[in-house]
Amino acid sequence: MTAPTTADPAVSAAAPAASTDVGAFAALREQLTDAAAAFAGGPDALADILTGIVDDVDRALGERLEIFPVCHHSPASALAMVRRLRQKQPRVIYLELCEDLQPVLTELRNCRLPVAVQAFASELDGFPAAWAPLSVIAPVTEASAEYQAIAYALETPGVELVLVDRSTDHVFQWSPRDESPTSEESTVDGADDQAALHGDAVGVEIGDLRPRFAELEAYLLHHGKVRHWSEWWDSYVERPLATADHDTYRQVMVLIGSLFRRLRPSSSERTDRDEDRERYMWTRIRQHLAATGADPADCLYVCGAFHAASRVEQFGLDSPAPDFDITARTATRWQYGLIPSSHSAIEAQFGLAPGSVSIAAATWSKAVSVSGVTPYRLGGQRGATGRKRRGKPEAVPVGPVTDRLSGFLAAPPTPDGLDEAELRRWCVDIVRLARRNGYLASTADAIAVFETSILLAGLRNRARPTPYDFADAAVTCIEKDVVPGRRDVRRLCEILLGGDRIGQVGYDALPPLARDVLHRLEPLGLDLEKRTVQRALLDLQGSPELAGCSDLLWMLRHLLPPGAVRPIMGERRLGHRSIQESWDLALGRHQRALIELGYEGVTVEQVLEQRLRRAAHGPEATAVSALTAVEDAITLLNSPRLVEELGARAVELLAGERTVDDAPDVLRRIRRLLAHHQATAPKLPAWCEAFVTTGYAHYCTLLPTAFVDQETGVRQVGAMLGFLFSLESLALSLGCDRSQLELAVGQSHPEAPPKVALLWAAHHQLGMLPLTQLRQRCRELLSNPLVVPAFPQYLSGFVHALEPVPGLTPFVVETMSTAFARLPDPVLLPWLPNLITALREHGPELVPLLVREAGRTFPGTLSTLDSWVPPWSGTAPAATPVVRQRPVGQVHGLLSDNREPVDAVAALLGVEGGWQSPDDGAPNSAAAALAQAHPRSAEAIGMVLRLP
Amino acid sequence: MSEMLRAPAEVKYADELDYLESVDTGAKPYSWRLSPRMVRLFVLGSERADGLDREIPQKWFGDRSFVERSIVTLASDRGLLLIGDPGTGKSWLAELLSAAICRNSTLVVQGTAGTTEDHIKYSWNVSMVIAKGQSRESMIPSPIMTAMEQGVIGRFEELTRSTSDVQDALISILSEKYVSIPELNDDNIVFAKPGFSIIATANSRDRGVNDLSSALKRRFNFVRIPVVTNKRSEAEIVRFRTEELLRRHHVELEVPPTLLDILLQSFADLRAAATSATSDDEKLESALSTAEQIGVLEDAILHSQFFGDRTLRAGTLAGSLVGSLARRSPEDLAILNKYLHAVVEPRAKQDGGEWNDFLDGGRQTIAALS
Repeated sequence: MTAPTTADPAVSAAAPAASTDVGAFAALREQLTDAAAAFAGGPDALADILTGIVDDVDRALGERLEIFPVCHHSPASALAMVRRLRQKQPRVIYLELCEDLQPVLTELRNCRLPVAVQAFASELDGFPAAWAPLSVIAPVTEASAEYQAIAYALETPGVELVLVDRSTDHVFQWSPRDESPTSEESTVDGADDQAALHGDAVGVEIGDLRPRFAELEAYLLHHGKVRHWSEWWDSYVERPLATADHDTYRQVMVLIGSLFRRLRPSSSERTDRDEDRERYMWTRIRQHLAATGADPADCLYVCGAFHAASRVEQFGLDSPAPDFDITARTATRWQYGLIPSSHSAIEAQFGLAPGSVSIAAATWSKAVSVSGVTPYRLGGQRGATGRKRRGKPEAVPVGPVTDRLSGFLAAPPTPDGLDEAELRRWCVDIVRLARRNGYLASTADAIAVFETSILLAGLRNRARPTPYDFADAAVTCIEKDVVPGRRDVRRLCEILLGGDRIGQVGYDALPPLARDVLHRLEPLGLDLEKRTVQRALLDLQGSPELAGCSDLLWMLRHLLPPGAVRPIMGERRLGHRSIQESWDLALGRHQRALIELGYEGVTVEQVLEQRLRRAAHGPEATAVSALTAVEDAITLLNSPRLVEELGARAVELLAGERTVDDAPDVLRRIRRLLAHHQATAPKLPAWCEAFVTTGYAHYCTLLPTAFVDQETGVRQVGAMLGFLFSLESLALSLGCDRSQLELAVGQSHPEAPPKVALLWAAHHQLGMLPLTQLRQRCRELLSNPLVVPAFPQYLSGFVHALEPVPGLTPFVVETMSTAFARLPDPVLLPWLPNLITALREHGPELVPLLVREAGRTFPGTLSTLDSWVPPWSGTAPAATPVVRQRPVGQVHGLLSDNREPVDAVAALLGVEGGWQSPDDGAPNSAAAALAQAHPRSAEAIGMVLRLP
Repeated sequence: MSEMLRAPAEVKYADELDYLESVDTGAKPYSWRLSPRMVRLFVLGSERADGLDREIPQKWFGDRSFVERSIVTLASDRGLLLIGDPGTGKSWLAELLSAAICRNSTLVVQGTAGTTEDHIKYSWNVSMVIAKGQSRESMIPSPIMTAMEQGVIGRFEELTRSTSDVQDALISILSEKYVSIPELNDDNIVFAKPGFSIIATANSRDRGVNDLSSALKRRFNFVRIPVVTNKRSEAEIVRFRTEELLRRHHVELEVPPTLLDILLQSFADLRAAATSATSDDEKLESALSTAEQIGVLEDAILHSQFFGDRTLRAGTLAGSLVGSLARRSPEDLAILNKYLHAVVEPRAKQDGGEWNDFLDGGRQTIAALS
């Protein structure tokens, strides 16, 4: 063995003391040094790297605790693992996986792989709140070494499985605080349905093995004459190692791990994290050995090849370095479970080529059948067809390390790949699949694909075609200028070579909430674990026992992402329940969402209650969100206690709000809630009363500011006035004071034209501005050329005033008609589209009012249009409001006889004006003149009408 | 060779081909002059790992798998159809493959609206027919028929430009591998010798003009050549082709790397603009292919050589870019004008240097053309 060739103190401490000319790898080392000298012209960094790699292999293999290097989704690793486990029969297995995930692993037996082990935390303590929710997943596929190790450990009595990697809490503890934690590999980006199965979880994997900088990967791909990393790995490592013996496998894997380790950017954050993980793992291993007294010869340490070539000071059981200082976990409460995964989700999460995990799965199946080894499987696992192992082979002690690398590196590639029968089968199948997908493919194409696959393999220096060659050949021969269906030939090849397998978490491995949901939906008679969309029909009148299912479905609709449960027919809103409902249920497809819901509580009701409370009490909560929560609590939970609590919170929030941005929503929701309570209960709940009184005072206070504040829109002010006017009677009956409103209106001095119009409408509603004056003001605006351009804005203010003052509708129709008639084109034409969009956006409920009023005002037929006179024109009776009916009758007599008290009351109410004499208006009226001119006729008509 | 304006690949690279043939020990299909691996090496260039005594430069730039798929198609029973946007190097790849496989890339039929079946099969020397009657001597074989007789590769350029009935004449050639001559009583069938195949090219922008029949599609393997968007590869292609053109024109002029960057960047910008355009009026008529870039650069170089001070300047490059790409008077000019104002002007302000000259040159040309 050699002395360390680097100045790294860590390496110096950990490297075994050895001389350069002895040891199993001396010959190889010498050969590499010579090669480096020949290529680089002298001993330099290249020689250091090359001999350093050999040193790493030497050191990893010389370690007392057997290190088993693996790579993720590598059937060769899995196969070597099975062979080694069968041979060695270790008593303890140390596995590179977050240590806190251990309790969930036993649940794997209830699942159909691939699934992902998940740690999830929604309530954070010790992490930035913006990171919530935290989620870590570690996918497990059948064709992986870690699954074999887990299955062996769990199925063999007396074998202990110890997870030694840092906990999920540490995954985030070690993430930089100034950025969001991201996956160690690439994250899902624009993924489709299956590829998005993991959500935005951070992915961790055992045996991550890939060049750490792009140039190295590009170099390897270029010289390997392959397109992507998965193909490189498959061609240059996977296939040669598939039949390799244990020693060769280990040496080659550590060699590759060491190569990528030495050729990586130094002193990056990721490097530090990797080394800390190694320190962590070795510390945990040592602690475990010390605590249990296990013999290292009976143990196996399964880790990524990258970590097997570690040079940290804690490496090895004999290292004198002190234990790594492991920080305590934060107080964040982690929940653990299993979620379904899929090949495409794994590929998307870890940046693998599409189809590579499927190809690995196919290779694994083939390798198992060819090699004759019996893989380990967890008993009771769905889809498993495992046979019981016969007998128990004797453990074989590890012999001295011999150099297998030289032979492996020098040997030509062994012929492996598809055999002819398999290739032929694939060719026939791909043509059949292509035909089913709209391609005009025939048997001739199958022949061509077969021939082209073999030619391509020959051109690429392979003895037999690989699945990648086959896919290229199929694309060449079948793909034409257009793709006739949804899938192109490359995608069809992926489907053919195993397709995307989607895992499923079995009933027993589900959290209690998910199990409860499935149990409660059983009356529907559907298999909700299926991944297809299923239609549920609920006749609640005919089968009242389904009411519980309906309630649950409405709650799930509120809690799960769109698409998981979707109502097709039927609705639930305040005071309304459908008697028939139909639903599209896709709970099987959204199993992850349901499982993650299970981390929040034990029943759906509990989770919903928590969510509603969070909506009302969270830092972002507003009066509207609290009112929405109240509505949901009524419709979904029917819990008066919660309604009361949330309602009280809504009052609190409203009183504390300093903006009126949500006023339209507040008005809409409180009106609906009041109507509901008034219809269903003899008395309004206390919170409703408090909300109305608080709202009345609140909006009165804010009204003057809102009128002048430029950032507050007309719609908001309109909604405030709407609240004040439409709930006024209720507010006054609850003890509010009207003078508050009058003061508020009196203090309002808006400048913006639409708000001015709103204020005028408010004055009119309060009796401070008669319609005649309002009309007069509009007329003045229209006749003043300086303000005409702003007239549309006044009009839009009047339109918004319809909400608080619906009585103004005829006036708004009149004003709008006048505007259309009188506004000059340069003002009118640009305004019209704005008017339409504004009406559509802000006042959809006001439009019917206007249309109805316009229908009443304008003539119904074309023929009457010519003779039609607008009611507000000077000639029409409606346009002469000055003509008043002379007050007659006993009441009038009583009042006019006692003018003093009436004047006093009028003064109290703020009404000014004098008494109308019986002759008032008569001399000016044309009718009076007519009657005076023809007294006899008038008297005769009076007699007919029996006037006094 | 020196008297040819443009030598075909087999003449131009005769040395390389001779050398490769001499060191080739691989199995050769049919009558191929080189094994498939050597063909690939000829097209894509050699590497140190190939262990050759001399370096073989890369001649076609693009994904390795396209070349591999093309080669194996030619070694199989089917014809090869290279399909892609104009200027993506389809014809160049076809020429290189023909040259490497059979040392003859000149048996070409150019597909046009006027191409007839005679161009694909055979025609007659009328005066000889009058003098001696119809015989094999008085027959004029088409390039395709010649390729059949010699067992080499025949090429059909712009297959989709010729009409459907003419295209369908290829069906029997590709399946039966013979052409019968009913006018003759004896010796009236021309059989294809081993090694015969067809490389056709089709422009994907011509789709719908004369669509291939399903029967013909079945007899071709399609290899789609995409537009090169990788900046590094594109720079390589432009440099490679421009050097070749300069050699042809005996021009000794240096292309500064900054100007090459400007050219590549402006094409990348214009392509991005074309992708986001919603109607044809908002995108340039040009396909903005790599060939177009080479054309722009060549034009600028020749302009500098003969009318300038023998130094390539950014202004000249901009003038040449505008001149080459503005094909429709109001529309293309408006797009280029917008590009200069919205993209080049801010960049000139920020980066300065050559971009300023580029902006000025572009503006002047637009003003002159408007």
